[in-house]
Parts: sequence; C-alpha cells; structure tokens
Amino acid sequence: MRTIGFSTGALAYSDFRLGLKILSSTTAIAVELSALRETELEPLVNAIDSLNLAHFRYISVHAPSRYEPRHEPRIIALLKKVCERNWPIIVHPDTIHDFSAWNSFGGLLLVENMDKRNSTGRTGNELAAIFSKLPNAQLCFDLGHCRQVDPTMTESYSILTMFRSRLRQLHISEVNSRSTHDPLSEASIGAFEKISHLIPAEVPVILESPVGPDQVKEEIKHAQMALPTNGSSRSGRHEPRSNVAVV
Amino acid sequence: MKPSTRFDPISDLQARLRVNWPAIQKAQRKTLQTKNKIETLLKGLSSTDASTTVFGSLARNEWTSKSDVDWTMLVDGQADPQHHAVAREISRRLKKAGFADPGMTGIFGNMTFSHDLVQKIGGREDTNENTTRRVLLLQESVALGKAEARQRVLGLILSRYLNEDYGFKYGRLPVKVPRFLLNDIVRYWRTVTVDFVEKQRGQEGQGWALRNAKLRMSRKLIFATGMLRCFSCELLSPPEARRELIKHQSTAAMEQHLRGFMEMTALQVLALFLTELKINPKTARTLFSAYNSFLALLDNQAKREHLKNLHPDKIGSDPVYADVRTFTRNFQDALTALFFGDNKQLRDLTIFFGVF
Repeated sequence: MRTIGFSTGALAYSDFRLGLKILSSTTAIAVELSALRETELEPLVNAIDSLNLAHFRYISVHAPSRYEPRHEPRIIALLKKVCERNWPIIVHPDTIHDFSAWNSFGGLLLVENMDKRNSTGRTGNELAAIFSKLPNAQLCFDLGHCRQVDPTMTESYSILTMFRSRLRQLHISEVNSRSTHDPLSEASIGAFEKISHLIPAEVPVILESPVGPDQVKEEIKHAQMALPTNGSSRSGRHEPRSNVAVV
Repeated sequence: MKPSTRFDPISDLQARLRVNWPAIQKAQRKTLQTKNKIETLLKGLSSTDASTTVFGSLARNEWTSKSDVDWTMLVDGQADPQHHAVAREISRRLKKAGFADPGMTGIFGNMTFSHDLVQKIGGREDTNENTTRRVLLLQESVALGKAEARQRVLGLILSRYLNEDYGFKYGRLPVKVPRFLLNDIVRYWRTVTVDFVEKQRGQEGQGWALRNAKLRMSRKLIFATGMLRCFSCELLSPPEARRELIKHQSTAAMEQHLRGFMEMTALQVLALFLTELKINPKTARTLFSAYNSFLALLDNQAKREHLKNLHPDKIGSDPVYADVRTFTRNFQDALTALFFGDNKQLRDLTIFFGVF
C-alpha cells in the first residue's frame, strides 16, 4: 500500500489547522503543510510545536509560490526551522532567485515540476537545468502538472526515467486548462496508471485535489486506483492483456 | 537509437560515402535562413496554446527559391475569439514580406484545431483535409516560435496510434511495428496519388509536370520514410522501449522513441537508416543523388517555370522532363533496392506489414 495523504491547502484554503482537523478523521497517513501564500509561512512555522501530527508517517512543507526577491532570505530562514525536523520542503523552481541560498537545504529540498503556464521546470530537460544549479535537491513529481504539459504521459515517462533516483514525493490531482487543481477524473486516473509502475511504492503521495471533508476517503481511493502497486492494476477492465491473441 | 539534434545523419552519410550533394546542402542553408526570418517576422504571435506550424519544404529542410510557406496556426487550448485575428495577422505579415501564398487547397493558411486531428482518426468524419493535416503534422512539420501546442498535439496523435493498436501493445507477435500508424501513412500516400489524377482532370493539365516530379520525389519520400519511421520501432528503438511495451504493455517509451523520429526530416530518417542498416553504398548514393537533382531542378527558376507550364501532351520530347524521368526512375529503383533487396530484415518487414 502506498503512503497517501493530502495537502492542507487543498482541503482548507490558507488554513492549515482546518486542513489538519479534516485529515484527523480520515485514513490519510501523509500530509503536506501548505504555506503557498507568503503570509502563511511564519504562522505555520511558529505553530508546528503545537500541532498534533502523530498519526502521519510522512510530513512535508510547501514553500511559498510567490514572493519578492528581498524576502527570500527571511523565507529561507523560516524554512531552516522546518529542516531541523528533517521534513522535506517543496519548492517551485520559478520562485527561486538565489540558487546558492537554496542549495543549503541539500537533499531536503524537493523541486516540483511546473504546469504549462511556466517557461521552466516543465519537462525533463528543463528540470535537468534546474538540478544542475541544485545538485543535491530531490524531486517532488507533480503528475497533474506533467499531464497538463503532455497528456500522453510520455514526458512523465521521461522525467521518471531521468530522475528516478531523485524522486521523493508525488503530487497528484487533475489540473485543468486554467491550471487549477480539480479532483481526480476517470481520464486522469487512467493516464496516471499508465506510468504507475515506474513509481516505487514507498514514495509518499500527496493529493492536491480540492475536495470537501466527505470526499477525502473517495479521493484517496481514486489515488490508489491511479497508482496501483504490484498486482492491483485495473487496466484489464477495458483492454486485452498479453495472453490475448490479437495478431 | 535515439536521434540527436546535434548529429546530422545526412552530413554523416556524405562523409562515409565521400560524396557531396550541393543542392541538398544549399536547401538546408536556405531553410535555416528562411526559418529565422519568419520566426522574427511572426514574433509574439504564437502562445503555449497556439503554435505557428509550417509544413512542406520548410519543414523538410528543402527550401528552394520558389518555395511557398505552407502554414497553419495550430490551436490546442481554450477557445479564444482572438485566435482568428492572430491567424489573419500571420497571413498579413507573410504576404507583406513577400512570401508566396500557400496552395489553393485550403489546407494551409488558416487555423487548425487539435480536436479533429486527435479524435477523428478514421471513420467518415476523418476528411481528406483532416488526414492530410494529421499525417503531415507527424511527418513534415515544425513550429516557428512557441512549440508547445504542436508538441502536445503530435504526442497525442502518436499516443492514439500506439495505444489503440492492440496488436502492437498486446499482441504475441515478437515483431513490434505500429500497424495502425503505418496503415494511415500508406492510406495517405495512396490518397495523394489518387488526388494527383483528380487534380490533373480538374486543372486541365496546368502544373502537371511539376506536380508529377514532386509526387515521384518529395511525396514518395514522405511515404517511404513514413514506413521507415514505423519500422524504426522494431529496428532502431532502445531496449527499454521494447521492454516497457512487452513487460508492462506501456507505449510511453516507444512514443518517446517515435517522437524523436518524427522530429527528424524525411531525408535525415532516410540517411540514418542507410547508415544504421549498412545499406549497399550504391543504393545510398543513388537515392541521395536523385534527390539532389530534384532539389537542383526546383531551385532553377527557368526549369521550374518550364515544368509548371509544360502540358502532359508535350512531355515525351521535352529535355527538362527527360531529366525528371531519369532522376525519378533512379529514385524509385533505389527505393526498391532499399526495401526489397539490400537488407533482409527490412525486406521481411516490408512484405509483412507493407503489402498485406
């Protein structure tokens, strides 16, 4: 079974406490504490000691996705406190101004691949350029973003084969044409299933689907369907397997 | 075998054979200059949802002095009324810069939407225009400016050809050739040859000799290299692509392999196969010499104009058409040697997949 959980930001916009409260009554065993807005980071870091996170096997923190260059040292200083707990930090590569400063996070820094609105970090080759500046950083692979860039999942295949050794976390959701997150659809589940065999079972999966508290359980089930581990593939529902004589 | 953008199989083949094909080299240089010029001209008109995509000689790296720009604005994204205005602006800027209009078929010089290209492969809604746009997008197209929309659509089309080919994906046959794709390439070629006769009737012989030369050279090249692109899955694909397909029924790696081959020009594909399969040097020389003669003729304005105005009744005694007859026959004979004579694997694949 995969380690599956949610981003607090997907469950409760800009309110990590409510996100955690919703998750406390579910089977989620992983969480990403979201500080996507710059103003969310300091309150989150200050509150960490007071949060009940005991039932999560995996915890990470999402760094702000937009900030002014002059605020970068302060953001890095706050995130250092997260690092002390050995929690990975997810960062959008297009937000980084001073790569050398972010290099200090070493392997706890997880670079996320971007959606099609961005001009960098979308493909394997673009990520390679980023990793050349952050040689110790690891990968948070956003399947939804990559599917939006290439719905055939060939680019996902490329990224997973190029950076298999750096893969530390997944983001999963539907990403629509306006580049916002949606719950998983039949189409996205089928697409993700296509490359699921390339994702080791131990890599934690964070859902970014904006769902209500009563939909969390079903969305986790959808994620399990999208990313089957050995022997649990549902592909056979629709298509012939190799023992069918087609030719 | 993963094609590299830095490696040019044509230069490599020239060096191996110790020959020179000046008209091909000149066309390559002129293509590069023209692409740069058009890219500057159309700056700001493409987006991640709409790629300015060119076809024909510009995409094949075969630009000659009287080539026209076959273009479309390929839209893959949310509907936007502005797309029409952008398409008109592309047309206006190209005309103002003196580029010849695309042909009269209506296939180029406007907007194309991804939906039909991806969703309508086969069936009665797959019109002649749709098939043409789709097959040419795969085999001879390039984006000028932002390329994302073209890349997405090309990938989606390839994905359909491979994923819906159950024989390719699940079949027991150890030979892996994408037959759905191959059949569409064959179908397109046959359509082109039938339409050639239809145009001959409709245009009362006007432009016949020039169209005939193009049919027997550049159109036939696209067909032949389309077959080679499909056969590359069996003959030149990396081991992991085969493993993914056979072990996991995943076509992702094979799609990646084929995308690489679709990004090469037809002549590059041909040169790569001639080298990789160690085809008889005589065949290689004949193929490229014939094609060099074809491009030299197209670049000669007087001869090109002569052919354009030459009525089919007069070809028997015409010296320019005699040249055409020679190089087109040489090209045909060398293709026959390539597909049926020089290499057993290629011959077996051609007979098994290309004939029945």
